[in-house]
Amino acid sequence: MAELKRQKNGAMVESLGAEVIRAVNNCGRFARFQVSSAVASAAACLRPMTYPLIWNQMLAIGVRSVPVVMITGAFVGMVLAIQAYDQLAGMGIEEHLGVLINLSVVKELGPVLAAVMLAGRVGGALTAELGTMNVTEQILAVRSMGTDPIRYLVAPRLIACLFLTPFLIVYADFLGIIGGYIISVMHFGINSRAYWSFSASGVEMWDITIGIVKGFFFGAAIAGVSCYKGFHCKEGAQGVGQACTEAFVGSFILILAIDFVLAVISKAVYATFWPLKILL
Amino acid sequence: MENKIEHNNEIIALKGLTKRFGKNIVLNDISLTFEKGKTTVIIGPSGCGKTVLIKHIIVLLRPSSGEVYFHNQRIDNLDEKELGSVRAQMGFLFQGGALFDSFTVSENILFPVRQHTEIRDRKKLDEIVKTKLSTVGMDGFQDYYPAKLSGGQKKRVALARAIALNPEVILYDEPTTGLDPIRADIINELILKTQKELGITSIVVTHDMNSASKIGDRIVMLHNGKVLLEGDTDTFEKSTIPVVQQFIKGEVSEKDLQSLQISFEDIKISETQ
Repeated sequence: MAELKRQKNGAMVESLGAEVIRAVNNCGRFARFQVSSAVASAAACLRPMTYPLIWNQMLAIGVRSVPVVMITGAFVGMVLAIQAYDQLAGMGIEEHLGVLINLSVVKELGPVLAAVMLAGRVGGALTAELGTMNVTEQILAVRSMGTDPIRYLVAPRLIACLFLTPFLIVYADFLGIIGGYIISVMHFGINSRAYWSFSASGVEMWDITIGIVKGFFFGAAIAGVSCYKGFHCKEGAQGVGQACTEAFVGSFILILAIDFVLAVISKAVYATFWPLKILL
Repeated sequence: MENKIEHNNEIIALKGLTKRFGKNIVLNDISLTFEKGKTTVIIGPSGCGKTVLIKHIIVLLRPSSGEVYFHNQRIDNLDEKELGSVRAQMGFLFQGGALFDSFTVSENILFPVRQHTEIRDRKKLDEIVKTKLSTVGMDGFQDYYPAKLSGGQKKRVALARAIALNPEVILYDEPTTGLDPIRADIINELILKTQKELGITSIVVTHDMNSASKIGDRIVMLHNGKVLLEGDTDTFEKSTIPVVQQFIKGEVSEKDLQSLQISFEDIKISETQ
């Protein structure tokens, strides 16, 4: 009986150890993939031969995402206005609605929700495309012809995501501001001049900048996770489907985690340099 | 003297090649050489490690131990960047063709050309595509997407892509699998044509014995991760090794037959219950 219990405990420790080794291996593989992708992307920027590939990806990833990102932004602004109006009107400060909406949109909700939308639209497409290429040996075919698949397939996608996500965030912010304005001024009848003047005093350049800067990190996270999942997906339709799901969940969590870290950093930076602004 | 001539003609050599996937040993201490301009066919039952073996020749897989040589230069220890120029001298025909489905036939063939040469002139590029497609009898399909092609056509286009850079060696992974006998024979003829007209060294992995005896100057049979027999068609026909005879004749072994009968009897019993 005691022997059986010892064996059971041994098996438990063994499976736990195997899981830990697997997790460490995966982390190492992920890190190596990201480092190779970053190096290949930097090199691709200097190789004019890669530019057509980058333009193609910019079209697929960036230009074709504009409508969905704008719709996301518009609804964020409109919903914020609907939800916040009653509370501010209760305190008699409904004219400050613009500050609340525009600050939330440009600093947090615009970038994060646009990035989540991109993780679904762009990330899903990237993983599905690369995953299918992987299971049909197309990635292996690229390697067999003496071309580095990370340089050829990942770098253009990473560069396109990295540089276009901030631009898409600008679109989301813009439509969010318009959406909030339409509901606040046209639906709730807030004075337009007061709405804009409170907004201008409440929203600083810093807030807009930090929102756009987030876009670079979110874009890198979406492309990095999605390409990795596509390159390492298991065989078959189920493997590709699972990789897409994992890519979206992974990108989503990473976006939220990056948002948190950047919020902490930006607050610290702001607090440090705020007194200097008064001096200027 | 004979040995020396053989050594001079040797283009690829595998020395003590072993590949393990976890605890599973797929290739076990395999040493083989491949002569320039000859066609070597590697046969063996499904899952015996044939594809794993040719993927080692182009270093798409790295050996667990052992060495791979190309023109007497060790290549299994080169990094991916250094391997680029080695791989440009080899063509690999994948089992499913592995054509890029977002590219047209023409763009597929031009992929290695654009990656490894400085040719950018549209006319010259079109000419290359036309020549390569004519070689495989597919001229006129330049603007087709792979999804519009049949299985045999895909393999022919994939072969055109594999010869795009005029390689010294072409590795074929199950080139006739999934094709009807006529289409399969077209592929066999193309393999013979590339060898005769272009002087290309071919290494073909297959389990199609008809194809092996038609195209192979030499046949190597793998079994349980080891080389079981190598020689010409006659050697295989005269061999008394039971596994070899079963494979040539396409017969099921007594052991497998018994296991099938047992499972069918089990089904009958469960149905009557």
